[in-house]
Amino acid sequence: MAGAFDYTPAIVLLPFLSFLLALGVGRSMPKGGALAGIAATGGSLLLSVWAMLAVANGGTYNQTIYTWAAGTGNSFELTFGLLVDPLAAMMLVIVSLIAFLVHVFSLGYMNDEGETGLPRYYAGLGLFTASMLGFVVANNLLMAFMFFELVGLCSWLLIGFWFREEAPPSAAKKAFLVTRFGDYFFLVGVVAVFATFGTAAFAGEGSFPALAEAALAGEAATEINTFGFAPQTWFTVVGLLVLGGVVGKSAQFPLHTWLPDAMEGPTPVSALIHAATMVAAGVYLVARMYGFYALSPTALGIIAFVGGFTALFAATMGVVKREIKQVLAYSTISQYGYMMLALGAGGYIAATFHLMTHAFFKALLFLGAGSVIIAMHHNENMWDMGGLKERMPVTYWTFLAGSLALAGIFPFSGFWSKDEVLYEALAHGLGGTPLLLAAWAMGLLAVFFTGFYTFRMVFLTFHGEPRTDVARDPHGVGWNVKAPLTVLGVLAVVAGFVNMVPVAKLTGAHIEFLHDWLAHGLGGLTSEHYGELTGQFAGYETGYVGSELTTVLLSGALSLGLALAGAGLAYKLYNVPAPVEHTDRLGSVKTLLFNNYYQDEYQVWLADTAARNVARGADKFDQGVIDGVVNGISSVSLFSGSRVRRIQTGVVSNYAALLTLGLVALLLGIGLMGGWFL
Amino acid sequence: MLLQTQLPQWTALGPALILAITALVLFVIDSVDPDSTDSALLAGVSVVGTLAALGVAAWFLAAGTGQVGTGGEITLFRDALVVDGMSLFFTAIFTSVAAMVFVASYDYLKDRPDQAEFYSLVLLATTGMALLASSNSLATAFISLELTSLPSYALVAYLKRNRGSVEAGLKYFLIGALSSSVFVFGISLVYAVTGSLLFSDVASALGDLDQSFRGVAGIGVLMIAGGFAFKTASVPFHFWAPEAYEGAPAPVSAFLSSASKAAGFAVAFRVFVEAFPIATAVDLGIDWVLAFGILAVVTMTLGNFAAATQENVKRMLAYSSIGHAGYVLIGLAALSAGAATNGDVLGASMAHLLVYGFMNTGAFLFVALVEHWGVGRTFEDYNGLAERAPMACAAMTVFMFSLAGLPPFGGFFSKYFLFASAIGAGFWWLAAFGALNSALSLFYYSRVVKAMWIEESDGSFELTSRPIGLYAAIMVAAVGTLVLLPGFGPVIETAQTVAAALFG
Amino acid sequence: MNPWIAIGALAVVGVGIPLGMMAASAILRPSVPEQGKSAIYESGEIPTGTARIQFNIQYYMVALLFVVFDIETVLIFPWTVIYRSALEQGVSLGAVLAPMLVFIGILVVGLVWAWRNGAVKWVKSPRASRRKTERQS
Repeated sequence: MAGAFDYTPAIVLLPFLSFLLALGVGRSMPKGGALAGIAATGGSLLLSVWAMLAVANGGTYNQTIYTWAAGTGNSFELTFGLLVDPLAAMMLVIVSLIAFLVHVFSLGYMNDEGETGLPRYYAGLGLFTASMLGFVVANNLLMAFMFFELVGLCSWLLIGFWFREEAPPSAAKKAFLVTRFGDYFFLVGVVAVFATFGTAAFAGEGSFPALAEAALAGEAATEINTFGFAPQTWFTVVGLLVLGGVVGKSAQFPLHTWLPDAMEGPTPVSALIHAATMVAAGVYLVARMYGFYALSPTALGIIAFVGGFTALFAATMGVVKREIKQVLAYSTISQYGYMMLALGAGGYIAATFHLMTHAFFKALLFLGAGSVIIAMHHNENMWDMGGLKERMPVTYWTFLAGSLALAGIFPFSGFWSKDEVLYEALAHGLGGTPLLLAAWAMGLLAVFFTGFYTFRMVFLTFHGEPRTDVARDPHGVGWNVKAPLTVLGVLAVVAGFVNMVPVAKLTGAHIEFLHDWLAHGLGGLTSEHYGELTGQFAGYETGYVGSELTTVLLSGALSLGLALAGAGLAYKLYNVPAPVEHTDRLGSVKTLLFNNYYQDEYQVWLADTAARNVARGADKFDQGVIDGVVNGISSVSLFSGSRVRRIQTGVVSNYAALLTLGLVALLLGIGLMGGWFL
Repeated sequence: MLLQTQLPQWTALGPALILAITALVLFVIDSVDPDSTDSALLAGVSVVGTLAALGVAAWFLAAGTGQVGTGGEITLFRDALVVDGMSLFFTAIFTSVAAMVFVASYDYLKDRPDQAEFYSLVLLATTGMALLASSNSLATAFISLELTSLPSYALVAYLKRNRGSVEAGLKYFLIGALSSSVFVFGISLVYAVTGSLLFSDVASALGDLDQSFRGVAGIGVLMIAGGFAFKTASVPFHFWAPEAYEGAPAPVSAFLSSASKAAGFAVAFRVFVEAFPIATAVDLGIDWVLAFGILAVVTMTLGNFAAATQENVKRMLAYSSIGHAGYVLIGLAALSAGAATNGDVLGASMAHLLVYGFMNTGAFLFVALVEHWGVGRTFEDYNGLAERAPMACAAMTVFMFSLAGLPPFGGFFSKYFLFASAIGAGFWWLAAFGALNSALSLFYYSRVVKAMWIEESDGSFELTSRPIGLYAAIMVAAVGTLVLLPGFGPVIETAQTVAAALFG
Repeated sequence: MNPWIAIGALAVVGVGIPLGMMAASAILRPSVPEQGKSAIYESGEIPTGTARIQFNIQYYMVALLFVVFDIETVLIFPWTVIYRSALEQGVSLGAVLAPMLVFIGILVVGLVWAWRNGAVKWVKSPRASRRKTERQS
């Protein structure tokens, strides 16, 4: 049948086509290629929805499309292939939807503002979308890595879009280099996966998670090479190597420093990066190969701990920022910390759920911020805003919905997902893995800060009296800004209803749709299988305070209470006609927070001293040893070459003599070895 | 498509027959009008005949004639000739090279007397090569070797008013006569101990040979190896190569260094694998695998080292061709008795010869083009050539980098597979020598590229014409070199399949 | 016994006998140098000029053509011997006749080509005629 999956390649190729169009003939196209991009992403969206419906009907797709390099003998093959299962289908819809809305929004943010270089911009957006979609449907780790790198490249192109200014190119370089640092480990990890398993497929009988599982269960069908380590140790090492790329792309501590700087890019790009593409890629990768991570309690523990720490760490930095996009940037880091926490705590569904709701509300918040920035004539300082509530109601209400979701206030989408993340961490922590409790505590504490900085942002931007003339008479925004905001606003409110675990537990109604969604699909890639794996290999068990129901309710109440407390504090401090900076009360902590815990400084110091010394040593080695050897070899070669030339005298009788002598020497040599003359 | 059931068996020799008939047709044409200088007619007939032979060979190869799938090899004339995948594969190489050489010769020979002789000699040599690849007996091997060699001597001396050409021809002939005598003496020794000239009979007779005769047999085997070493320009039978390639007209150099070398390898592969099976030979103490290993290392090292110090581009290419003979010898040197990797190794060698046929022919034809312009022969003379003839120089750059084995050209994959299969067969030291020599070869190949593109031209010379035939041949070779990168999959598969059939 | 010893002995004897005979005759013979002894033997004719002259290339042409026909005869001869008995034993006329016709046909093409290209045309070599006139004068 010519089903939805036959068109899956088109999901990736359509945005790529728009990239080619914008690049090639964008100059002569209306709106600088925007319409082509909108059409392409719209088409991708429709096809993604179709694919999702097909998956909902129980279909899955795992197919190798093209083998671009095959080794000789029984070595491995390098392939491109498609894998569409519930997780990928959901992600496809999210990515294409956000990309579609971002394209529409860009009409308002870029075209209407009279930016130049629009074809380049839309080409970048198209390629960015295409790479991310390709990453989502990749069926093996190498292909995922290639698209992962493409995503990185596109982020570099787009963050540095305004390359004539000073900051954007530098921010772009930073984003590229920092994520690249993580990607080195990823690349080594990919090679290690190939060397260990001989395949990098995600799904199926011979996929590397399945092989690893079989090896640990002692029923390995094929020999795998663990380089002399115990299998579990080696899998942990490989998993952590791949995790290097994840930490870089998903902006986890300590490689998060690029993300706030990346705000230098156009705001729609920020929305795309943060909600659906680049940053999501890291978390998605862990979810994609969760069957592998679930085998290693150490890797899971590290993921959970890094996630919890990042969530708290970034949230604290968010509370003092002045620019609206900076606050959102730190909130992104913090929210992805939650997802990592969930993944590390065995909450595969919770992480996916949060990935989805976050995609919606964070895209909404960025686009809302973009709308505010249009209105404020590209001034991003919140202290110059205020009172925009009456002047831009659509933006205000949608932004408020997004903020409520971000802060995790009942019943907005963020509440449900964040609650489930924390619940999973708590339940598994109580079930005998106390380390998770520490991560959980950090995550819980971060809820308070999240509530605080979110509403500080809302109040400073929209409430009170206008603090500047621009804020008093903001620039209007068109339909192409309001429409995406409305769509996302609705989603930010309702997206959480697909998985209301506390309600389900309370009422017994069967409304955990996302659980059902992720529980079917390809064998070995289901949430149930992951649950078994974490239980079997990582020793994750569920523990409760009292009963299951009390734990669920307790967890929900705790996080809601903390979020409300944070929001309340923000209300008290900033929802006044003329708010003032309260940061001075923090004393020296303020400086620390403003400087982002000196993360940049220490990393630059590290790079400067360590790298410079290493580089100097390498240079010496290169100049002295390598060049010396190379020069030596070349002069020896040339010398012996000129000697060899002299054999060729030009006298034919010499040749005949040498020929005969050579033959006799060969005859004698082989003859003596073979013992002919005995 | 089962050819054997539809056509008589002798049609399996179709490519060779077409080549021979084309040569005769040229004789007839020249008899009718001995003073003709109608290049278009002569070159046209030759190209059509060669392409027809190539087409038939490719068709047979695709249809599986003589391969395992359709009933195995076809033997003719009481097993004196055999047609199988390997012979067809090599015939395809010879005819491709010959076709390119003919197209290029259209311009190179323009306004010369005796053109028909040139074309018919090349065609006769090509016929000999096709038969050489099909030989199944030492007698036919010797006859076809001579059929290949004798026209070559005349072709090298084709420019009979040019002292260099005549001197090269004479040297080639003398060394060739010496090598032929060594070869035929070897055959006689092998015949003396085995009582047969057919490869299969020789193999079985060697299998139950009295140990006391092994010395005679061993000397015979190594002397036969010497005969092939002459044809493939391997050390120590390589002395003719630099002189002959330098003195000969450049299209002839292209033909000799690509097709003639491949022919030598074609027959060497068959003789050594089929007539002197490794297991039997090693039992007798005739370790020809080791002998070829030594020859391979010495040949590639000597060829590359000598090439590095040349000032004359054509002579550099001649030595590089010796170096490449060393790489291909790995195909015979990385074998071991009964190993499953044998087919891979031999197939990789054959695939390298195919790619080499394109890139090396192209490089010599570029030299022919430069000679046609009368620019000069040294590296300095090539300075700044790219400004005047960018297309041709780009093609030459492709050839140089492909010969050096750089991606993204065909030579990269063929060399890669060759070395990889050697490592896979456990002969890592051969691959190591090959890799070292390749690194050295990059030095002198890039000198050409540097001269063409980077250096400033000092003298002022005018490129008087754009010879269409030479350009076309060079472009065909360049496209072939490029297309063989993505298209290398089917080539290596075919080569390894037909090579594995040889061991079956 | 190792056969190589026999081969080596044969080689020694083979080289030793001629050397020994030459040495013996050099010791025994009287030495009478005379001009007539070192003159070239030309069946009684008195040789003129030196033997190191360049022969005209035409000699070789004719010789080559002769070799072609020689070989042809050698190959035709056994064929004629078996021709009739092969036919009697039921081999078809085509199978017996065609190969030889092809063979002779190829040779004919070669001969015609050589003829047309002047292989049997006696070309006057300027150098040879010059030498002739020198000798006569």
